[in-house]
Amino acid sequence: MPDAIVAEGLVKVYNGSVKAVDKVSFSVHEGEIYGFLGPNGAGKTTTLSMLTAVLAPTGGRATVAGLDAFRNPHELKQRIGLVFQESTADQDLTGRENLLLAAALFSVPLRDTPKRVEYLLERLALADSADRPVKTFSGGMRRRLELAVGIIHSPHVLFLDEPTLGLDPQGRAGFWKIITDLRKESGMTVFLTTHYLDEADGMCDRIAIIDHGKIVAEGTPSELKDRVGGDVVSVRPLGAGVGLEAALRALPSVTSVAVQDGTFRVKCPSGETLIPSVVGAATGLGISLAGVSLRRPSLDEVFLEFTGREYREDEGPTATDRAVFISRFQDARRGRR
Amino acid sequence: MNVRRWSALTKRELLKIARNPAAIATSLMLPIMYLLLFGQGFNFTSSLAYLPPAERVAALNALLLGAPNYFSYFAAGMVGFVCVTATLFVGANVIFDKLFGSLKRTAASPATATDIFGARLVAGSIQPVGLAFLVLGLAILLGQVGLSGLDVSASVTVVGAAEVVLAILLLSLMFAALFLALGFTIEQPQTYFALVNAINLPVLLTSAALYPWGAMPAWLQDIASYNPITLAVEVLRITFFGDALYPYSAGIYLLGLIGWFVAMFTVATLLTQRALAPRV
Repeated sequence: MPDAIVAEGLVKVYNGSVKAVDKVSFSVHEGEIYGFLGPNGAGKTTTLSMLTAVLAPTGGRATVAGLDAFRNPHELKQRIGLVFQESTADQDLTGRENLLLAAALFSVPLRDTPKRVEYLLERLALADSADRPVKTFSGGMRRRLELAVGIIHSPHVLFLDEPTLGLDPQGRAGFWKIITDLRKESGMTVFLTTHYLDEADGMCDRIAIIDHGKIVAEGTPSELKDRVGGDVVSVRPLGAGVGLEAALRALPSVTSVAVQDGTFRVKCPSGETLIPSVVGAATGLGISLAGVSLRRPSLDEVFLEFTGREYREDEGPTATDRAVFISRFQDARRGRR
Repeated sequence: MNVRRWSALTKRELLKIARNPAAIATSLMLPIMYLLLFGQGFNFTSSLAYLPPAERVAALNALLLGAPNYFSYFAAGMVGFVCVTATLFVGANVIFDKLFGSLKRTAASPATATDIFGARLVAGSIQPVGLAFLVLGLAILLGQVGLSGLDVSASVTVVGAAEVVLAILLLSLMFAALFLALGFTIEQPQTYFALVNAINLPVLLTSAALYPWGAMPAWLQDIASYNPITLAVEVLRITFFGDALYPYSAGIYLLGLIGWFVAMFTVATLLTQRALAPRV
């Protein structure tokens, strides 16, 4: 399978000293949804900004949609779609006018433009409000309009930077339904940054966990969870379960057994294949079971395993955040964007 | 430059202007107040009526280089003034587009800095040009209702009218380029407006827009001779009142304006390209 994105040793240093991104390398396969997961200030948006020609890298190389990301910024922008964290639609224009403007900017063929605009307005449930100024739109409508603008030209690769930030659970679910449907229809590659673990778990084919500017783990959500130590099978006996702990420890592939509130938590690489043995061991001891459940480890545990600290979605500004802020402030003073 | 992108961006700018009637009304207020109050109250040449006709003409020629009265001289100056004040919003709009994110969206598209700058330059010059002609029309109209008005004493030829249009257009484009350059390089609206005020007043007060030429000290005349507002305003005065008392023809003043425009356009284009390039 060819790769839609290849990053090799990407580096971004702010103020000559703070490494926001530190030799990041990864590849995203064609048609894949690839998640860049990490807390605030981890280097997610900086990486995305370099891959979309918004930010010049300090070092490294990247190929996006078959183009050198740093040598062909205008061609690159034609082949990719970008949905920002914040609303970037023109507030004074209507939803339709914003889409028509985007169609012209991305050179959507003139004869296809009206059909494409109507399709997206319908597809993203914006048709009824298409002729209202964007300043009257709700948060969810603005996010959907951002997405419509981002895909107006049917990009090869779609970059989503924290696309559901600030949306309520229903809004997030609706947004992701649209993304997965569009991906199925068009085969578009999606690169997303998020700090919502559940979102990355449910949506992504593969995930890279980034922390302090470095990728600390990469794989499918299942692989990452397997690397933590596999599944947890919870066994609840009807009685005290005398001898059950030793019998469970003796089962092949069991890595640990913990007892908590009368429930035996058995850790193993593959819970599905262990459950029959667990039931067999209990039956062999004459113990009746009140219940057996299987829980795969969540990405919270994965994050803890690879970064050595618990995940907090609302972490305060990190050293990188502060460096980025200072750099932008200095740029502004020097007259740079 | 991509024509489709450029025209779409220009249309966007014009739609934004059209949807902000309050801003249009505000930009109209200033020239109307100047014409109705300052121009009427300061029309000092009516006080020269006691002089014998020959002496009166000589005094007017010395002071106003052939304009029949101060209001007429001043009305031409007001056109230049309007071209400056009405263009300063183009730079402010860039700053607000940065703050509200829409410039980020445009910069993330394949549109080049030239497309983005060019569209704003053209759209931003349309309003001042329209206002300039409104000022001219109003100044002429005032003379028809018993007030001091613009008295066009020379016969205006087609070439002269074209020179007036060109002068107004060049002056608007030049100041739009200047304010766009500031808008693309400055982040905070407060800084922008402070800088614009620091530019506007000295530029206006070192021009011949308001002062009777003959009353200006020689050193100020020397400075004013190179001021772009003076260059544009002199084209209007030559066309409306004749060129007998002017050292150069309208064509020379227009050349000076073209020079100013080219210089400002070049600087602004470079600054815009720098501002829209990937951040380092």
